[in-house]
Amino acid sequence: MSYLQEVDLGGAFPPFASFQEHFGVVPNLFRAQSSLPRILQGEAEIIDAVLFKNWSLSRTQKEYILLAVGVAYRATYCVALHYQVLRSLGVPDHQLDQIVINHSKAAVSTPDAALLDFAIKLAMYAPWLSGDDIDALRNHGFNDESILEAILVTGLATFLCTLSTGLGPWPDFEPRACLASNDMSPPETGYVGGTGGPYLRTVERSPESFPPFAIFLERFGFIPNLFRAQTLRPDVLEAEVKLFGNVLGPKDFLSHVQKECILLVASGANLNTYCVADHCEMLRAMGVSMEESDQIVLDHHEADLSKETKALLDFVLKLAVRRSSIGNEDIANLRAHGFTEEHILETVAVTALNNFLNTLQMGLGTTPDVKPRHVYGLKDALVSLAEERPQERAQIDPDASLVARVKAGDLDAFEELVTRHSRRVHRTLVGIVGNVPEAQDAFQETFLKAFRHIGSFQGRSTFSTWLLTIASNTGLQCLRERKPLESFDDDHETEDEFHPRLVRAWANNPEQLYSEAERREIVERAVTMLPAKYRVVLVLRDIEQLSTGEAAVALNLGIPTLKSRLLRARLMLREALAPHFATSAKRMSL
Amino acid sequence: MITCSEFMAEFGNYLDNEVPTKVRQQLEDHVAQCRTCQVICDSTRKTVKIVTDSGSFDLPDAAAKPIVDRIMAKIRTEI
Repeated sequence: MSYLQEVDLGGAFPPFASFQEHFGVVPNLFRAQSSLPRILQGEAEIIDAVLFKNWSLSRTQKEYILLAVGVAYRATYCVALHYQVLRSLGVPDHQLDQIVINHSKAAVSTPDAALLDFAIKLAMYAPWLSGDDIDALRNHGFNDESILEAILVTGLATFLCTLSTGLGPWPDFEPRACLASNDMSPPETGYVGGTGGPYLRTVERSPESFPPFAIFLERFGFIPNLFRAQTLRPDVLEAEVKLFGNVLGPKDFLSHVQKECILLVASGANLNTYCVADHCEMLRAMGVSMEESDQIVLDHHEADLSKETKALLDFVLKLAVRRSSIGNEDIANLRAHGFTEEHILETVAVTALNNFLNTLQMGLGTTPDVKPRHVYGLKDALVSLAEERPQERAQIDPDASLVARVKAGDLDAFEELVTRHSRRVHRTLVGIVGNVPEAQDAFQETFLKAFRHIGSFQGRSTFSTWLLTIASNTGLQCLRERKPLESFDDDHETEDEFHPRLVRAWANNPEQLYSEAERREIVERAVTMLPAKYRVVLVLRDIEQLSTGEAAVALNLGIPTLKSRLLRARLMLREALAPHFATSAKRMSL
Repeated sequence: MITCSEFMAEFGNYLDNEVPTKVRQQLEDHVAQCRTCQVICDSTRKTVKIVTDSGSFDLPDAAAKPIVDRIMAKIRTEI
């Protein structure tokens, strides 16, 4: 379960088989991307080269980096995954818990502690990274191969964290609370800006004998310094080329200009002077003037872009700035702008790829390929960090303190939540499944699921909306099991336009024709008779009063589909109620 | 003047107050002239109100406590 719809690719799909072998599971993060297998194939190559292949660092050291960066980014999903992998590698829980709480006090070797300091500085405060940080690693016995590998793994960590933030997969393992990043503050001195290198040794490679360089030369007209700086790892460069090709190459969903705009805006958000300069150059080659690129990076709302592309870039900015979290409503907003599952997945993948590249570039300190029109300075970095601070949610959740108590193990607090929300959940479920006995089973299941997964509830919506999403999914599952009697998933709105048949006026105060109990019975009977796919929408919108966006998220529907079903449901219900409430209707016996 | 089909195409957004002022004016001009759409609009609004106010599918108070107890008993045995 994630923000996007999944496709069954089967366990034999090679990337999944590889993940199964090396993670012990096919992580939901990758299942969430199943609508575009080419992206998964590119990701599998880079993960294999950077993480699974034995080179200089051990798998345990790499997983430490992935865990520590996940904690720093508050990426609950990634923390749960890497915690479990480290467990399976034999690292005891108490040591892992220490890394999660405060890595500097964890019982790891001095070189490993230095490695984690370096990775976290690169992930969180890359513009402050300098040659001194590289030398510190050398003093702990790391050679250039292992430092390059540390930079690559840190880049991979930012890639995975960005994917997980953008896709919202359900954790594969029990989530861990991440508190450490609260205490981190930027270094007071030593701002470098990301172009103070190159820091590492390289090997001369020519485009004639090294295919990745031939591809760069063909695509960009030059070989970017960022890739020249990684020549100690030709296998990784090959995997990067494959990943770029699979993510950036096709234009069947997002256009090439849209993808470059994403890379430009996200690099700007990361204050990456080098990458902004290169993407301005790429856009120029695609016919976008330098002035227009400057406008896009400065404020894309003022640029000459469609309103859809502006909405897309709003999403990218939120996702790229590492501590901002994406919620269901952000995905619903993209759908409302006409973007499909594949567009959204590509957007998340391009942004994740950007964060990978930005991290590598600052870790390697490569100098610009073209003269930058923008050089981001210390002032930009401090402003950006201030904006990035986790902000109090504007939406106040009346259940927040109870949820916190449940997370701390307080069962009485959970009982209070069940009592508080039992009526809403019950109404939703009876409305969706259409009968009380089945609804009561689903009711119990809803609260059990909520209890089991409350660790992953991050407050992106209110607890109440989160709970109703679980209830809706549980209710829909009941309906699916009942197929073909009732079909919810039939997405083809093939029926002819619905034409209201009864056009006699209604009484002025129709509700006064019946007692409260009678009205309720009339409505319940009529709602229950609606076809399931219309009924569920009506229940969430008109009975539970969810907003259009909330209901779309809860039912995993696009907003246009939700709206069309809601109108149809209301019109059908109107026909069903007309005999009771139209002016000529005699008071009907029930 | 818009047609009945055009009215129906925007009707859902109109019910939810999600149309720009200009479109709203066009819809209201149509309703003022078209008796059928006027009836459909009025009765659909009343339908939504009746459904929203009906208290449908509410859990009776007496039934709530045993259900909550059952769930909590199950959770307590699980952990």
